[in-house]
Amino acid sequence: MPINEQSRLPVIVGVGVTPFASDRLDSNIRDLVTEAVLDCLADAEVTDIRAIQHGLASYESDHFNRQMTLAAVLHDAVGLTPLPTVRVEGGGATGALALRTAWAYVQSGLCDSILVYGGETNGRSVSSKTANQLFALSADFDWEMMVGGTYTGFYAAMMRAHMQKYGTTEAQFAHVAVRNRRNAGFNPIAQKPMNLTIDDVLTSRAVAEPYKLLDCSLLSDGAAAVLLSTPEWARTHSPKFRKRPGVYYVATGCGTDTMRLGDRYPHIANFRAKHAAAQQAYTMAGITNPLKEIDVAELYDSYSGVELQAVEDLGFVEYGRGGSSVVDGLFDLDGTLPVNTSGGLLGRGAPVGATGIVQAIEIAQQLWGEVDPRRQVQNARRGLTDTHAGIGTISVVNIFERRD
Amino acid sequence: MTTMDVISKKDVQTVSDPLKGDADLWADFRVVERLNLAFTQTYVHSLGKYSRFFVELENGRFMATRCLNCQRVYAPPRPLCPDCLKITEWVELLGIGTVETFSVLHFSPGSNADVEALTTPYVLAYVLLDGASTLFPHLLVASPESVHIGMRVRVDYSSGPVFHPIHLMRFVPLEG
Repeated sequence: MPINEQSRLPVIVGVGVTPFASDRLDSNIRDLVTEAVLDCLADAEVTDIRAIQHGLASYESDHFNRQMTLAAVLHDAVGLTPLPTVRVEGGGATGALALRTAWAYVQSGLCDSILVYGGETNGRSVSSKTANQLFALSADFDWEMMVGGTYTGFYAAMMRAHMQKYGTTEAQFAHVAVRNRRNAGFNPIAQKPMNLTIDDVLTSRAVAEPYKLLDCSLLSDGAAAVLLSTPEWARTHSPKFRKRPGVYYVATGCGTDTMRLGDRYPHIANFRAKHAAAQQAYTMAGITNPLKEIDVAELYDSYSGVELQAVEDLGFVEYGRGGSSVVDGLFDLDGTLPVNTSGGLLGRGAPVGATGIVQAIEIAQQLWGEVDPRRQVQNARRGLTDTHAGIGTISVVNIFERRD
Repeated sequence: MTTMDVISKKDVQTVSDPLKGDADLWADFRVVERLNLAFTQTYVHSLGKYSRFFVELENGRFMATRCLNCQRVYAPPRPLCPDCLKITEWVELLGIGTVETFSVLHFSPGSNADVEALTTPYVLAYVLLDGASTLFPHLLVASPESVHIGMRVRVDYSSGPVFHPIHLMRFVPLEG
């Protein structure tokens, strides 16, 4: 079967998401996923979950959840038994890799519809010190974690290399921290909208230099769900599909890089895996000038500077121009290519297993024209999501198109 | 009726609807009990084919591996060259190198007893050892203000006691 078989090109039938919070004390992971799934079915106007042919669980950590085989637990909790299921994990890229897997399941004919749901309780179920230790476990244990490294530290070292190579400044990436938290103010599910100045970011306390507290993204509780299917299945089972423009999942790319940052030397200032993932996706979508041909994007701003590196790796601007283009407002709500209209990981939040999914939800809702008018990108027809694991160890880029 | 005592109980509370919709779908499920639980375990952690690096640190020797095909030298060692898929050989380096990038960490994860003992801020440096092709991440014991890209550093060996053998070494400035 040719890849990208158009008659089986997955469409987004429905989307669901919980509010993101630092501590959803009323809910555990099962409750959060249940909320998101019910929200998704309501959005799609699908009343019988058993009309769906496959489940897919997206979550990163067994440690935060204190539950192994969580995929089976979640599948059961939302009433999907006895349907088939699969669990997908890819660090920070988990949610995007889950969607990519679902894309292949639908394209291959293994199923006509698949419910992708993911979540995490990264908030206050453990102390931030324990959370840092748990996240550091996804670094190379003996060589990076045991010496006292943290992800903030690895990302910070990478950003310092970018500053050295291109003259990028702390004030430039502070702009990302300000803009994304401002955008979050227009998103009702966002965890921590803030109205900040560049100076607020620059004077916040140092965590791992050059990153300060306000350059860092959030630890979140939350869940998200997306129902994907063939166009035919959607027409048959979802009354909602016939009422709004079709949003097609047209392209997906995935790149990888070494576990340890140091093994990439001298390529330590940017994300090679992200560049590779984007190129694959652009080829699949027929995109040659992403800045012009993409209307809205959700980027992986785990730290403010990471977004600035990403716009270079994704080919939106030339290498070394990330800092100045961000300051020039190229990616603001009224800019050439608005990014992180949702607030991003910095303002909306990032329950890991839900992150890549909620990015796709933001894009779908932007393409449908369904978001708060204050963050709605007018006439958006094509959107991109960018997510990665580790410090760019696994990178996934997904592209969605509105077709009326 | 006797009083029930749950020793792990953190709290029981009635929470409001976080969705703040017109009607609370979960109105009958708003009582929440939370427990404080711990989860500790010990296990045998094999250093595998990295082991010689750590064993030689006890002798004050800094080992790396070299691919006989492409001549790349891996520090930290890689038993298999990822570019050539050839099994590498051990080589000894002088333990002198250059800082290529770094971060000053003001927050310690306390990952092990050696890290717990560090005072913040501390410096995580990525060092290109003379003769190596990759960067080695480790602590650089120096005042944070003095650290810069291009700084020359050397391996400083410790006799311990340490928790993890990676702490049998650290970087220090080459001069002084």
